Amino acid sequence: MLGEILHILAAAIISWILFVTVDIFFGLPEAGGVSGATAIAQDIEAGGGDLSGGTMMGNIVCSPDASAGTLLAACGVYVAGIPGGLAAALMVYIGNRICHDPGYAGTTGAVLATFVVYGFTQVGFAASDFIAGMVIAILTIQGLSHTHASRLLGRLWRIRE
Amino acid sequence: MIALYVVAAIAVFAAARAILERNTGRRFPYANVLNFAVAGSLVLLLDHPITLIAAAAYFVGSTLEANAIASTYAGGMKR
Repeated sequence: MLGEILHILAAAIISWILFVTVDIFFGLPEAGGVSGATAIAQDIEAGGGDLSGGTMMGNIVCSPDASAGTLLAACGVYVAGIPGGLAAALMVYIGNRICHDPGYAGTTGAVLATFVVYGFTQVGFAASDFIAGMVIAILTIQGLSHTHASRLLGRLWRIRE
Repeated sequence: MIALYVVAAIAVFAAARAILERNTGRRFPYANVLNFAVAGSLVLLLDHPITLIAAAAYFVGSTLEANAIASTYAGGMKR
């Protein structure tokens, strides 16, 4: 039981690093993909947060990004191994097009996460650890403190710039 | 099994935060966490390849809805 909890926490850290790196690489904090993402960013900034970090959070809400890709890839690996993960990547790609998102952060994140999750299942992790881990990772960004999360993302974005 | 409880607990927490938050724009990220948790718990509850399609369809659909509501909140499409 303790082992599973530790695996979930480790999976959360790995998922967090994976999706934040891919999203920042694809420039999600740069501009809102749709007007709704910009509006969310402005409300987060009005609450004391950072505009760039808020923009990334708005973009995560408005289209499947690398975090959604990581979650669905983990779900895919859980039900059907690598083919399941790649099927999830295809569905994220379709989801991006449906959501008027011109980028490839979600698809890239899903393909990368498929191999990362599969790799960790070879060393004692379960794919379900990554499903719970990714939900914890998105909770730390979107669900605990928008002010602190957006400031952290904004700081990471300025390092990349 | 613990994974399912963790995901379910986060879903309840995110739902409560979304209800309690007064600012509409800041409600969306909480609802987003809820969508992640529901999609994850679907797959953890029903371990079947078709569940993946159901979870992805639910997730993409709920994201599109959030996108549409947020863009309406922002003032709609500029024509």
